Amino acid sequence: MWKYMLKRSLSMVITLWLIATLTFVIMHLIPGDPFATEARMLPEEVVQNMRERYHLDKPLIEQYVQYMNGLIHLDLGPSIQQKSQDVTTLIQSGFPASAVLGLQSLVIALTGGIALGVVAALFHNRLMDYAAMFFAILGISVPSFILAPLLIKYFAVKWELLPVASWDGWEYSVLPSVALAIGPLAIIARFVRTSMIEVFDQDYMSTAEAKGLSTFHIVFRHGIRNAILPVITFIGPLFANLITGTFVVEKIFAIPGIGKYFVESIFNRDYPVILGTSVFYSAVLILTLFVTDILYRFVDPRIKLANGGE
Amino acid sequence: MKKKLLTAAALLMLVVPGLAACSKDTPAASDTKTGQTTTQAAAIKQEVTANLKGEPYTLDPAFASDSTSYWVIDHLYEGLYRYNDKGELVEGAAEKIEISPDGKTYTFHIRKGLKWSNGDALTAKDFEFAWKRVLDPQTAAYEPSALYYIEGAEEYNTGKGPLDKVKISTPDEYTLVVGLKNPASFFPKVAIGRPYLPVNPKVVQADKNWAGEAKSIVTNGAYKVGAWEHNNELTLAKNDQYWEKDAVTMETVHFKMVNDATTAYQMYKTGKLDLIDTLPTDVIEQEKGKDEYKAVADFGVYTYTFNTSAEPFNNAKIRRAFTIAIDREAITNNITKGDQKAAYGYVAYGVTTPSGKDFRDEVAPYYSNDPAEAKKLLEEGMKEQGWSTLPAVTLKYSTGETHKKVAEALQEMFRKNLGVEIKLEHQEWKTYIDTYKQMNFQIARMGWTGSYLDPLAVLELYTSKSSSNFTKWENAKYDQLIEQARVEQDQEKRNKLLHEAEDVLMAELPIIPVYFYTQNYLNSKKIEGIQYSVTREPDFRQAKKVAE
Repeated sequence: MWKYMLKRSLSMVITLWLIATLTFVIMHLIPGDPFATEARMLPEEVVQNMRERYHLDKPLIEQYVQYMNGLIHLDLGPSIQQKSQDVTTLIQSGFPASAVLGLQSLVIALTGGIALGVVAALFHNRLMDYAAMFFAILGISVPSFILAPLLIKYFAVKWELLPVASWDGWEYSVLPSVALAIGPLAIIARFVRTSMIEVFDQDYMSTAEAKGLSTFHIVFRHGIRNAILPVITFIGPLFANLITGTFVVEKIFAIPGIGKYFVESIFNRDYPVILGTSVFYSAVLILTLFVTDILYRFVDPRIKLANGGE
Repeated sequence: MKKKLLTAAALLMLVVPGLAACSKDTPAASDTKTGQTTTQAAAIKQEVTANLKGEPYTLDPAFASDSTSYWVIDHLYEGLYRYNDKGELVEGAAEKIEISPDGKTYTFHIRKGLKWSNGDALTAKDFEFAWKRVLDPQTAAYEPSALYYIEGAEEYNTGKGPLDKVKISTPDEYTLVVGLKNPASFFPKVAIGRPYLPVNPKVVQADKNWAGEAKSIVTNGAYKVGAWEHNNELTLAKNDQYWEKDAVTMETVHFKMVNDATTAYQMYKTGKLDLIDTLPTDVIEQEKGKDEYKAVADFGVYTYTFNTSAEPFNNAKIRRAFTIAIDREAITNNITKGDQKAAYGYVAYGVTTPSGKDFRDEVAPYYSNDPAEAKKLLEEGMKEQGWSTLPAVTLKYSTGETHKKVAEALQEMFRKNLGVEIKLEHQEWKTYIDTYKQMNFQIARMGWTGSYLDPLAVLELYTSKSSSNFTKWENAKYDQLIEQARVEQDQEKRNKLLHEAEDVLMAELPIIPVYFYTQNYLNSKKIEGIQYSVTREPDFRQAKKVAE
């Protein structure tokens, strides 16, 4: 087990390094200049001074070494766009909001998705099943940029149940969490339904039923535990995606998260932010995948971690 | 479980609209009350909530380059000059300004007893520090070129001259003497710009990221930063140290950062925002004509640039043909819709001339929409060039909803009025700027806004020496007129020179002016007295909240 952990940690570091390097190269291949915000020409010397300030006047290889050195010390450099802030500060101040939203929507997606999937499987090929799956397909196909304004229109403007947008208390997080959760909820519901139907056909389920266990017991003790595996595979990356923020939902609900930096940094050619966000996201994703692999073992003891040293 | 939730939700839905209906009545009731008694208005908490749309990139005047930052900065700092409540340029931190007879030396007498928001004394030295800081190459400020009017400034900033040759000096704490390279009579219009704002030396030297957090920002204007929740809300509180604090009626300004225009509109409609701008077109259509709707001219023009070195636009007649083939009213009425004015000249509305009129209104339109004439000119131009068919034309624009619609409208107008088929091509902004600056186009979209409120600010872009002239158009007479306008002291003569320069530009048309920019606002009835201006974002200093 420890040997495995060590090996995994090493490969995680290498992956992260590869991603940072690739991002660095690709980013400098995009045409455009971080300092050209408008067509009016700034005097050449002025632009040169700005380049020097951000070390962009140095050869790329030198910039790369400098960046990697900073990365090791967890210093992601200054943002070119947000002129009085470092990338680390940007991520630190925006991440909590994104994380709260992400976690809440993950909880909604998981509980809702599993409940919907189980109901559909229990009523396999009956009206409840069709209704649940209709809802699931709707959830998958309606994009969040349609769903979010609809939620605002009804829940905030028409019925005045919740605030329209902004970030000043828990009630502000309800609509965006729901908007974020619906898509994954629908996908999870479909996963759960499929694997539940499979699990229901297993011999141990008949055994459980024959023992006279209650439906609740059968479903929750024996069913879900076995049906949850494909969901775990799915929620690993989903978790990473959700807690690092999303551009569309955060924009529509005016959430002070980090979702927008992923997109805007590229439009602004804000090199340190592009790198910082990419590395941050990759780190979260890689860690999540690692945790998922470990989780598998606990959920299903039959799974042995690769080269399991035990 | 699910069922219970559903029932609860259903119950909520039944109950809450009823509650909401009750709450709706209250604001209306208080409205009538305030109408009856004026004394009650004094008790209303003076605060306003506006939409800033996003995080200001910086609150350090040396680095600001965008309207979001400008909006906040203009409320935080006060320069030597400022705009009064009538929008006129008047003395700010300086109480008296003397100009030498040759127009080259400005002596600013700073008001005595001025203080920074932290209580530090504000002196002429702070201005000297701030300006030299902007010029220091190490600072890498955004617009040091705005200070190049000062003798020795450009040389120092570009590493060609020493700091002690920069003609900024402070004989005593309350006197700032500035020597200009040339007698620029429009210097006050330039010196009201953000690079000329003072900063507190102690604060700047103590922390390189001082302008990034509320606690470290020290200001000298009407407001200080009360709180700054990044990407969410920035609150400005009245600055008790401000010398004219009694004239500031609005106590607190909340800037919300809602980037999505539709969301901002919904927040406005539910009373969470008192002022919004950049309205979506469907909202403009809905709100136009109501009291709350405001359309304010911007000092900028939406244009298409010709590459006059590329076929077929190397021919002036063909350029003119394309210019007059455009039905500008069709574009402003059907596409932009926000009270933009069709541009029949280059300099936008907003400049008041010595005669008291607007610069634009002093001359007749330079052209009109004339398809017949356009067709004739195109034929003549082609004959001059010896072309039987027009070389293929590709029109380039930067990616964007409105830009796309305008480009498609032009394509259709050229087809209908000139019988010419053109191709359209668009690129994402940063790539587009590259393409544009490298002049890799025949005809390309661009918008221009004057960096100071004077025709010179936009006309000087087209001199042969200008690095922002992307037309390859050169005209000796034009260069000479602009050069004269730069130094002419007599305002009437100067105005005439500027008109003559525009005449030359509009006769040759290296650019197509399409329409003049307008900003649209929704201003809640609860807030009165917000000042709108051509060059600046709305000013809250003299605003009043008249109803809760």
